[in-house]
Amino acid sequence: MNVAPSMEPAEFRLVIPSQTRYLNLVTGLAKRASLVAGLDDATAAKVSIAVDEAVTNVILHAYHGEGEHSVELELRFTEQALEIHILHSGQGLRGDQIVLPDPKEYIKHPRKGGLGLLLMSRFMDEVRFKADEGSGRNECCLIKKLD
Amino acid sequence: MADLSIAVRQAGDVAVLLPAGFINAHTVREFEEALEGLVRDGRYTILLNCKNLNYISSAGLGAIMGLIETVREHRGDILLSDLQPNVFAIFDTLGFTQLYRVFNDEDQALAAVTPERKG
Repeated sequence: MNVAPSMEPAEFRLVIPSQTRYLNLVTGLAKRASLVAGLDDATAAKVSIAVDEAVTNVILHAYHGEGEHSVELELRFTEQALEIHILHSGQGLRGDQIVLPDPKEYIKHPRKGGLGLLLMSRFMDEVRFKADEGSGRNECCLIKKLD
Repeated sequence: MADLSIAVRQAGDVAVLLPAGFINAHTVREFEEALEGLVRDGRYTILLNCKNLNYISSAGLGAIMGLIETVREHRGDILLSDLQPNVFAIFDTLGFTQLYRVFNDEDQALAAVTPERKG
């Protein structure tokens, strides 16, 4: 018997330790979630890279590489978009603190670092950062619209 | 299965590096060490054959960026071949296809740096 899918937005959460060994697990999930949402293979691969970059930033920069913390991923499936919210209680980043490198300058003056945010912004439709100083809870929200 | 395995072989003057799997923040040190080992041995012309590379994140791009000036100062280069579409998209999105020579396959790349191989 086929059961018609609910039209209500669906969401679920995954909590991982702040360790890079779990990156592959998270990017695999992001890719599969993208396909479930109806995105094509190429777009799903881009979403998975954006999630890799976002979770890596949390582990290495927000938590300074300390592995005993938690990173929470919340996936929301709506009719319009796939939203991936990455929540943590490490050092927060606000949207107005983000400076994306200029790719042309990068090519002229190659150096390590700084490319993750650029990949996230190029591969997703929206990237938002929220830092809540009151609760200490911080979030990076990645949105991919469904065409 | 390991997230990343790396094979290295020599083709004339070119060191061919074959990463298989995923290059991300977890595996990048292994990739970086393989590249640095080649440079330490004076093997400055390096071909990254990416046919078995599923993806590379900015951590891996940083490892390549970190050595490009050194190898070019020694009249070498880092070449790329056999990029899967999603790996090509990452390089191309960031404009790296202008910075590195990208070839469809290993034979084309080797022919480009050793002209006598042509024909």
